[in-house]
Amino acid sequence: MPWKMAMISTSDVRVEECLKIKIGQAKNLPPRSHGSVGWRDIYCRISLDQEEIFRTATVEKTLEPFFGEEYECEIPRKFRFLSIYLCDKERVVNTCKEKVLGKVAIKREELHKYHGKDHWFPLLPVDADSEVQGKVHIHVKLNQFMKSSGSGSFSHRLYVRVIECNDLTIINGACDPYAAVSIFYSSSKQETKRTKVRKKTICPQFDEVFYFDIPSKSHNQEKDVFKILEEDIGSVELRVSVMHDSSGLFGSVFLGEVKIPLHGLDIIKGHNAWYFLKPRDHHPQQKIELGSLRLKIYYVSDHVFSSQFYDPLRNLLLSSSKVKPITSSTAYVLGEIVTNKIDAAQPLVKIFMHHGEIVAFIKELADWEISNVKDPNTIFRGNTLVSKCMDEFMKLTGMHYLHETLQSTIHYICMDHKPCEIDPTKLRDGENIETNMANLKDYVQRTFRAITSSALVCPQIMCEVFAVLKDSATLCFPSVREVRYSVISGFLFLRFFAPAILGPKLFDLSTDPIDPQTHRTLTLVSKTIQSLGNRVSCKSPQQLFKEDYMVSFNKSFITEHHVESVRVFLELISSSSGAPTPLKREIPLILKEGMMKKRAQGRKKFGIKNFKIRYFCLTTTELFYAKAKGEPPLCHIPIDHILAVEKLQEESFKMKNMFQVIQPERALYIQARNCVEEKEWIDILTKVCQSNKNRLREFHPAAFLNGHWLCCKASSESAPGCHPVTASVSANIRVHIDSDREVERIHTIFFNHMNILENLIESCEQQAVYTGEQGMTLPPGFVIEDIQSLWKTLKAVKSCVITLEQDHKQHLSNMYRETQYGSEQAPIGDDNYLVMMAQHCCPGNNHR
Amino acid sequence: MSKPPNENLLTYILVVVGDGGVGKSALTIQFFQKLFVTDYDPTIEDSYIQHTEIDGHWCILDVLDTAGQEEFSAMREQYMRKGDGFLLVYSVTDKQSYENIRNFHTQILRVKDRDTYPMLLVANKVDLVHLRVVTEEQGRELAVQLKIPYIETSAKDPPLNVDAAFHEVVRIIRNQPPPVDKKRRRDWWKRNRRCTLL
Repeated sequence: MPWKMAMISTSDVRVEECLKIKIGQAKNLPPRSHGSVGWRDIYCRISLDQEEIFRTATVEKTLEPFFGEEYECEIPRKFRFLSIYLCDKERVVNTCKEKVLGKVAIKREELHKYHGKDHWFPLLPVDADSEVQGKVHIHVKLNQFMKSSGSGSFSHRLYVRVIECNDLTIINGACDPYAAVSIFYSSSKQETKRTKVRKKTICPQFDEVFYFDIPSKSHNQEKDVFKILEEDIGSVELRVSVMHDSSGLFGSVFLGEVKIPLHGLDIIKGHNAWYFLKPRDHHPQQKIELGSLRLKIYYVSDHVFSSQFYDPLRNLLLSSSKVKPITSSTAYVLGEIVTNKIDAAQPLVKIFMHHGEIVAFIKELADWEISNVKDPNTIFRGNTLVSKCMDEFMKLTGMHYLHETLQSTIHYICMDHKPCEIDPTKLRDGENIETNMANLKDYVQRTFRAITSSALVCPQIMCEVFAVLKDSATLCFPSVREVRYSVISGFLFLRFFAPAILGPKLFDLSTDPIDPQTHRTLTLVSKTIQSLGNRVSCKSPQQLFKEDYMVSFNKSFITEHHVESVRVFLELISSSSGAPTPLKREIPLILKEGMMKKRAQGRKKFGIKNFKIRYFCLTTTELFYAKAKGEPPLCHIPIDHILAVEKLQEESFKMKNMFQVIQPERALYIQARNCVEEKEWIDILTKVCQSNKNRLREFHPAAFLNGHWLCCKASSESAPGCHPVTASVSANIRVHIDSDREVERIHTIFFNHMNILENLIESCEQQAVYTGEQGMTLPPGFVIEDIQSLWKTLKAVKSCVITLEQDHKQHLSNMYRETQYGSEQAPIGDDNYLVMMAQHCCPGNNHR
Repeated sequence: MSKPPNENLLTYILVVVGDGGVGKSALTIQFFQKLFVTDYDPTIEDSYIQHTEIDGHWCILDVLDTAGQEEFSAMREQYMRKGDGFLLVYSVTDKQSYENIRNFHTQILRVKDRDTYPMLLVANKVDLVHLRVVTEEQGRELAVQLKIPYIETSAKDPPLNVDAAFHEVVRIIRNQPPPVDKKRRRDWWKRNRRCTLL
C-alpha cells in the first residue's frame, strides 16, 4: 500500500503542559474532635503524584477556609495525578503536627474536563493504601518438565523475575523498598518470597529471580499438554507487592501492588512487561463526609511540532496588522470566536512580541476600536481584544518594571503595618481617624512617588506602545485634550498598578500572606492611586461623588502638584522618539530567588561535604547564596563564570531534583525543592548564561565522587565532559517566547471553533449573493466590514488549520504504532492508553 | 415614611457587578446620593451603607460597587462570598458586556454552590436610544435563560428604575424560601443532617 511519507517523527514533537490552579475555599469540614474548640488551622498543598509543588498560607480558626490563592507553573515531567491535599496544622504542646484531612486527586487525562471552570470537589480520605505511585517491571515464564518418575506427565515451574521499579513513593523522607512475590494457587494456598531490601532509592534495580513449583492437579494420564496447562495454572494468580522497609515500630509500609492472573498470558513464551502499581483492594468503606473544596483549574497540554509546520498559520497571523480593514484579519477573527478574549490575546501578544510586530499590531487594533467609540470617556473600558492584548503585553514586558517600581514600597507597607482605615463606619476601637489618615497619606505618598519617578526605567517597548495609543486617541478626539492622558492611565494605572497594589501576591510583589488589615490598607492605597491616575482626565476635578470619606480624604490630599506630576509622568513614558534611554541600572534586578539545598563546594581537600539549605538569589549580574534572605552572601558566582547549567543524575547522591552550576574550577550541586522549581531554575540560569563565550560543549552528567566521575569513570576532576550539553538544542526552544507553541495554541482554538469558522464562511458567501441580509449564525457582535477580504482570510485560516490537524492525526497514529502496551512508556494498567487505542482503532480514525 | 427604628435591623449586602464602563457606579451613586456623575472614575471597590424602608420594612443596605475590569477578577470571589444579592449590570450600548453577564452568573452560583441565588439582570443606559445595540427582547431572553428577573434602568437624570432595581433585589432576597442562616458555621452539623434528609 502506498504510504504517505511520514513527515513527523515522534521524537520531533514536544508536549508542553501548563497548569494554573485557583484555590478557592473549602466547606463542611469536620471540626476537631479534641481540644477546647472545634476550629482548625488549614492550608492546602498541591502535588504532582506524591511530590509537593506548592503550599498555600494557613487560614486559622475556621472550618470554611477561604484561600483565594493562585498557582501557575509549567509541568516539567510526566505525572498521573494532580492532587490537592487539605491539611490541618495541629499544635500538640509546642510542636506542629500536620494532619491530612482529605484530598482531591485528578487524573492527568481528566484534567481537561475541569478546565476553566469553578468546581466543588468532594474531599476523599487519605491513607497509605490510596497514595500509590510508580511502576514495576516483571518477567514471568512457565517452564515445563517431564516428570522424572517417568510417568510421562508434566510438572510446571513458574519463573518470576522482578527486574526493577520506578517512581516509588517516599515515606517520611525515605524509601528502602523490597518486593514480595506471592503466588495464589486455586486451593487458596499461597506462597510468598521476597527480594532483598534496596536502600535509599525510589528506582530499585532488584533483578531477582524466583521459582515456584506449581502443583499438578491432573494425575490422570492426560495427553493434551495444553489442557494440563490450562487446568494447572488457570486460576493461579501472581501478586507483586512493593513495600518500604521502615525501621520504625510499624514494620513495612505498603507502596503498591500488582495482581497478574496467569490465565490468558502467553506464559510459555514468557511475558515481560511494565505494570502500574495499584492500591490495595478496599472494602468499600462507609461514606464519610469530609467536606468539599472549590478549585478552578486551567490545564493546557499541547503537542508542538517543529517550526516549519506552523509557518503558514504564523504568517497569516503576522499579516494581521497589514490587512485592511482589521476586522478581516486573522487575529481579529480569532478574538471574535473565543468566549474569553484573554484566550486569544495571550498567544497573539506573544507571537507579535516574538516577531517584533507588537507595536504595529496594537496600533491597528487600537485605531479601529477608538474610531468606533462615540464617547471618549469609555475608550478601552470594556473587555475588548485590544484591552486584553494591552493587559497581556504589560504583564509580559512590564513585570520587571513593576517590581522595580513597587516592590520595596509594598514591602514597606506590609512591614510597617499601621492601621489606615478612614471609613468611620469601619473604624475599630481605639483607632483614631486622624492618625489613620496620616498613615494612609504616608503610604500613598510613597507609592505615588515610586510610580511618578519610574518613567526612566519604563521599558522602551512599553513607551512605544503608549505613544501609539496617545497618537491614535488625539487623532480621533482632537478637541478633548484629556484623552491623551486617559488612554494611557486607563491601562497603566487602572489595569496595571492598581491591581498590583491590591493583590501583590498575584503579581509576585509579595510572598508573605496578606492579613485583613493590610489588605484593607492596600485597597485604600490602590483606590487613591487609581484616582490620582484618573484625575488628569477629569474635566471637573472638584466633582468627585464617591464614598464620603474618600472624597474628603482626596480633597485634603490631592493637590494640583500631584496632577501635574502624573501629567509629566504620562508624557515621559509616551514620547516615542525622544524617549529617554533607560538608565543603566545601578541595582541589579532579582530574577529568581528561593531556598535550596546545596552541597559544600569543596574548597578544602578534606572534610565532609555536606548538604545545607541556603537562600539562593539570581540577579542580572550574578548568582549568590546566603544563610537566609537578608544575610550577607556566602558565595558569589558571576554570570560569566557559569559555563553550563545541567541536570545532575539522580544516582550521584541518590537525590531527586538535582542540578549543577558548572564553573571553571568546580561544579556547584544544588537540590531544588521540587521538579517545578528545578525546571524553573535550570531554565532561567541557562537563559542568563546563554551568551557566555566560554560556554561548555561537554559536561559530566553525574558527580565527581571518591576520586572519579560516576558517569565516565575518569579519575581526574578536570577531565573534559563526557556528554554534550543539552543547551544548544533546547536553548532555542526556551527563549523568552516559544512562538511555535503559541501558534499551536491558536491552531487548537481555531480547530475547536471550526463550526463558527464555517458558519462565517457561509455567511460571507450568502451575503455576497444576497447583499444586505444579515447571517443568522454569526458570533454575537461580529462585524463584517468587507466581505471579500474576510472571506479570503477565513478560507486561508481554514485550510491552515485542516492541514495542521492532519499532521496531528498522523502524529497520533505514529505514536500508537510505536508505543507498545506494557512498555515503560505505556505500562499495563494505564487506562488512558487503552482509551487512546480504542479511539485509534475505531473506523474513521484509522488510516488504513 | 416612618422613622428608622432603633432596634437591630437586618443588613442586606448587595453587590453590583458587570463589565467596565456599564454604569455600575453611576447607578449606585444615583441610588445613594441622588445625582448623576458625568466624569468617569473607574472603581476599584467602593461601599455604601444606608437605612432604607422597603415594602414597609426597614433594613440596612450595604452596597458594594465593584471593579468591572477583568484585571480585578481575582478579587471577585471575595465579595461574591459576602453578597446576599447581586445586580448583574450590562450596558445596552455594549454587546460584549451583555455577553459577559453569563460569566458573572455562573461564577456567583459556583462560589455559592447553589442552583439559584438572588440576582437581578439590569439593562442600563436605556436613555441612549440611538446607541442601543442590545434590545429589550434579547435582555428578557437572557433573563429567562438565567431564571432571574429583568429590569431596564438609566442613571442619567431623570433616573429610571434605579431605586426600583435595588429594592427589587431586597425583595428577591426576602422572598427566598428559607432565610440564609447567618450563624451557618456553628450549625454545620445541622446542615449536614439536612443534607442527608434531602
